[in-house]
Amino acid sequence: MIALSDFLILGGLLFSIAVAGIFLNRKNVIILLMCIELMLLAVNMNFVAFSHFLQDTAGQIYVFFILTVAAAEAAIGLAILVVLFRSRQTINVQDLDTLKG
Amino acid sequence: MDFNAAELIPVLPEIFILVLASTVLLVDLYLRDDQRGLNHGITLVGLLIGIGLILALGGGERQIVLSGSFVRDPMSDTLNAIILLVAFLAFAYSKDYLRDRNMLVGEYYVLGLFAVLGMMIMVSANTFLVAYLGLELLALSLYPMVAFDRDSKAGAEAAMKYFVLGALGSGMLLYGISMVYGGTGALDFPTVAASVADQGLDNKVLVFGLAFVVIGVAFKFGAVPFHMWVPDTYQGAPTSVVLFLSSAPKIAAFALAIRLMVDGLGGLHADWQGMLIILAVLSMGLGNLVAIAQTNLKRMLAYSTISHVGFIFLGLIAGTAQGYAAAMFYAIVYALMAAGAFGVLLLLSRKGFEAENLDDLKGLNERDSWYAAMMALLMFSMAGVPPTVGFMAKLLVLEAVVRVDLVWLAVVAVAFSIIGAFYYLRVIKLMYFDKPTTLEPITVGAGARVALSVNGLAMLVLGLFPAGLLGICQAAFA
Amino acid sequence: MGFEKFLFYVFAAITVVSAGMVVTRRNPVHAVLYLVLCFAATAVLWMLLEAEFLAIVLVLVYVGAVMVLFLFVVMMLDVDQAALKAQFIRFLPLGLAIALVMLALIVLVVGPANFGLEQFAKPAPAPADYSNTESLGKLLYTVYVYPFEIASVILLVAIVAAIRLTLRRRPDTKYIDPAKQVRVRKGPDRIRIVKMPVEGKVEAE
Repeated sequence: MIALSDFLILGGLLFSIAVAGIFLNRKNVIILLMCIELMLLAVNMNFVAFSHFLQDTAGQIYVFFILTVAAAEAAIGLAILVVLFRSRQTINVQDLDTLKG
Repeated sequence: MDFNAAELIPVLPEIFILVLASTVLLVDLYLRDDQRGLNHGITLVGLLIGIGLILALGGGERQIVLSGSFVRDPMSDTLNAIILLVAFLAFAYSKDYLRDRNMLVGEYYVLGLFAVLGMMIMVSANTFLVAYLGLELLALSLYPMVAFDRDSKAGAEAAMKYFVLGALGSGMLLYGISMVYGGTGALDFPTVAASVADQGLDNKVLVFGLAFVVIGVAFKFGAVPFHMWVPDTYQGAPTSVVLFLSSAPKIAAFALAIRLMVDGLGGLHADWQGMLIILAVLSMGLGNLVAIAQTNLKRMLAYSTISHVGFIFLGLIAGTAQGYAAAMFYAIVYALMAAGAFGVLLLLSRKGFEAENLDDLKGLNERDSWYAAMMALLMFSMAGVPPTVGFMAKLLVLEAVVRVDLVWLAVVAVAFSIIGAFYYLRVIKLMYFDKPTTLEPITVGAGARVALSVNGLAMLVLGLFPAGLLGICQAAFA
Repeated sequence: MGFEKFLFYVFAAITVVSAGMVVTRRNPVHAVLYLVLCFAATAVLWMLLEAEFLAIVLVLVYVGAVMVLFLFVVMMLDVDQAALKAQFIRFLPLGLAIALVMLALIVLVVGPANFGLEQFAKPAPAPADYSNTESLGKLLYTVYVYPFEIASVILLVAIVAAIRLTLRRRPDTKYIDPAKQVRVRKGPDRIRIVKMPVEGKVEAE
């Protein structure tokens, strides 16, 4: 039988890959946005697994809302990306040096 | 399950703000370009009515409605009313600035009002789900506001940085919440609190989840080492948006911390106390030291925000009702100070000119002594000089940590705030003792002038008579 | 090894490998496609967890709409890939180190010691007439009606924000207005008769 821990470790793997991706792709904004989607997927995996093993639907409802928010977030993130690209003709974060931080 | 319409009464302020935002969205469709001021009027009047509604419906026992999703208690009454008040100030100061930059459009007010709605939802959340949704509603309204000036390269860049780091913070928070769910099997604060109290501190899963929740909250506050977005966002965003996002959202972040970490995970206080001490010391230290080196006023105020966040954490660290009340007092006072300080910057900006460097304040006294006096009051208050209210706020949080025998922490905080006083006083020196670079008079609408005067004088009045506001804060945690 | 276990390991492997591909691809189009694969494999895993509704939503809404939006933007922006190639290696050690530490911590906490089958036994499968969608729907419109309304506001914000940020009329754009085309009159709009002063006659040879 598949244990809860198997699903949680899978969620942990996805989460770590997403965090690593954010560090690796500091240059490329569009892949950064995908890493964020991946991170939310990892969280959703946790919630669905807990929800199943606790036999509690609240976890699945939470996932439903995370998916909704993630869709809105993707739309706004891509809109900002388009504005950025229009004004600078690049999505390379290294070229984003108007601000010093 | 039966639906009881009476359950909607405590939620009326939120419903009203939603209706207000939708009204502005619709009315804006039918306005000609020269009539856009009407949005401004509707928003301001609506916010005042909202404050009235909260005061009329507030008071009395703690109410939990809508299947345990929504809570109305003295803390939510106070914080919601103050959030609306600060948002009112933020909109009132911004009108001329927005008009000069072609940003006086309906969307600005719609997004601003939705951000306000998100903050109110956070403040009166009673489950992890509602707190998260309120947080995202706030954040998703703020990201586009930062990029609101579409022709500004810095604005888009600031929005992107804010977006990526904000989403990272939300991801951390969510991962923590999923662990808490696994550890307790529930997502509403009362059940989680009961389960945490039951299991005590030996549940590793809960502590692990808590660490992620604290990281998420720290991201939203902008505490060191999760502060990377603060200076860039403040510098790149339009000043009116910086005013908006540096003031009221700090109150909402405070409420989020109380709801998640006290209402929900209060049983783990011993664990998160240690984490917050690290964050507080780093924030006060880095914020104050780096602020000294800044020549850009917006960046300087960004680092000053970071140091004030450290002070708000001090009250939470104490973990007593008195400490929470002190932190609440500090958060409210900080929001008012930030609104005023950025308000002065807004009024100094003209068409085609952004007041954002320290040099732009040179000789402000000769140009307009009243604004110089107001800015001086705000700076004294931020530095914590008596008899302004900033001194009172610092005193209260310090007293709270001393009472729980963290004297060393109080000493560190005092040391950093003395260092911090330097850069606030430098602003005052620039205004009063330096020659102005321009003698152009400052033209400001009457409304903004009155609002700024009230804002500035409130620093003094609240400092001399703090009992009223303090009493309200203490009642929230009685 | 049961069939379920076999399915789990196959699709878990696909999920992890494609997630790894997403963060290491230089070409954003490839990354998006790997992300789609990752979501599809995850949907299968959610089926195993009896979350049928969410699995379908993940494919329909996520893969069907959000990922297509990503692809659309990637293609529209025409990213210069050569410029993005540089400096990936520099962050590799740091990224790997952080990910490994984090993974070690997570595995330590969520490993079989805390969440094994002894602590959380596999629940009995739901009866055949149980509908996951129905039970979620009932909850969503009763207990969770307040969050549901908030979610609708969030979507409205996304619409307003996306339109405000990206819709703009550039003054130099040339677009056709059919109403104006129809109203064109022959006389003054289409032909203009220009009177020229008569110049001197050319001398005949």
